[in-house]
Amino acid sequence: MNEIEELELKIAKFLRYGILVAGLLIFIGWAINFEWSGNPFARFQVYSHAQMSDLVEVSFMAQDWGILISYVGLFALISLPIIRVLLTAVLFVKQKEYTLAMIAVFVLSGLITSFALGIEL
Amino acid sequence: MFSLIVFLVSILAGVLGALLGLGGGIIIVPVLTLGFGVDIKYAIAASLISIIATSSGAAASFLKDHLTNLRVAVLLEAGTVSGALVGFLISSYANSSFLYIMYGTFLIFSALMMLRKRGDNLSVLDHRWSTKLKLAGKFQDQAGAMIDYRVANVPAGLIAMFFAGVLSAMLGIGSGIFKVLAMDGAMKLPMKVSSATSNFMIGVTASASASAYLLRGDVRPEIASPVSLGIIVGAFYGAKLMPKMNAQTIKKIFVVVLMIVSIQMLMKGFQ
Repeated sequence: MNEIEELELKIAKFLRYGILVAGLLIFIGWAINFEWSGNPFARFQVYSHAQMSDLVEVSFMAQDWGILISYVGLFALISLPIIRVLLTAVLFVKQKEYTLAMIAVFVLSGLITSFALGIEL
Repeated sequence: MFSLIVFLVSILAGVLGALLGLGGGIIIVPVLTLGFGVDIKYAIAASLISIIATSSGAAASFLKDHLTNLRVAVLLEAGTVSGALVGFLISSYANSSFLYIMYGTFLIFSALMMLRKRGDNLSVLDHRWSTKLKLAGKFQDQAGAMIDYRVANVPAGLIAMFFAGVLSAMLGIGSGIFKVLAMDGAMKLPMKVSSATSNFMIGVTASASASAYLLRGDVRPEIASPVSLGIIVGAFYGAKLMPKMNAQTIKKIFVVVLMIVSIQMLMKGFQ
């Protein structure tokens, strides 16, 4: 097995386990609050602005574990690609592929910058 | 019951997204808004989550089958991310209707070009940058034959990715289609490699905006959970299906989706 294949397999393994953990958490959250009747989307027909921190606080007070577990799962899901870029940079450094490692670090810093810009909106 | 329907539709979106290298947004957004009356802001937030789920769900299989070109992906991500930053900064000055019309017209044009072409148009020569960064690769096709490919016109690919990033940031779309077109058209990568590599990349661009949407409270678990679960299941299946499929068939499905999306974009532009 050559070096690239080894790197691909490591990243593949990380993504496979990552998506399974995130998916399992989201599934548990979804299953706890599952409604067989009624329309769970009805209350989202009109947009109302609310910070995530407030939504989490309300769910915490109401001990709504379904929502809280779902949030943890969704957070894990969103962080997968970002961790993947970091992991790629580290693995490229280990294989002494410095140009590609630097490009991966550039991508990561771009992501962090756009995230910081996004919050200010 | 309603969220079960969304879960099932999302499975379909996941299969299609994994096969074509795009997020499920083109299916998820209309189903949520037109089918269930969900506000567009919640629908877009859910569709960003669906892009990440498609990308991460299919990536493991694609990497193992050597369909994703990791080195090309990392290089091109630099173009997408810088484009997204620029798009973000200029978004308040630009006219988005004009952009939608431009993008829609470009997609129709690309669909027509793709209809005329048959099969993969592989490059004989490796671009200088590709040789330096060892971007060329190989994969096994559905008949079991090893296909060696080279990478042409890397600078054009990078510039195209920059514009893909600008489009994503300004219009809130995944721009997977644009990425596939650039890799297939300019860089002359095989169709399967283009769509697997695009699939790998779209998750990265979406993750930055998705985290901002999550903190802003627009990602609601009640909507995002059935969507992401369905997508994960669909993307797993789609990724398993791709190595067995004929590249020509994938291209045909791609052209149909291209037509539909271009109409969606033009309609938004003329609204």
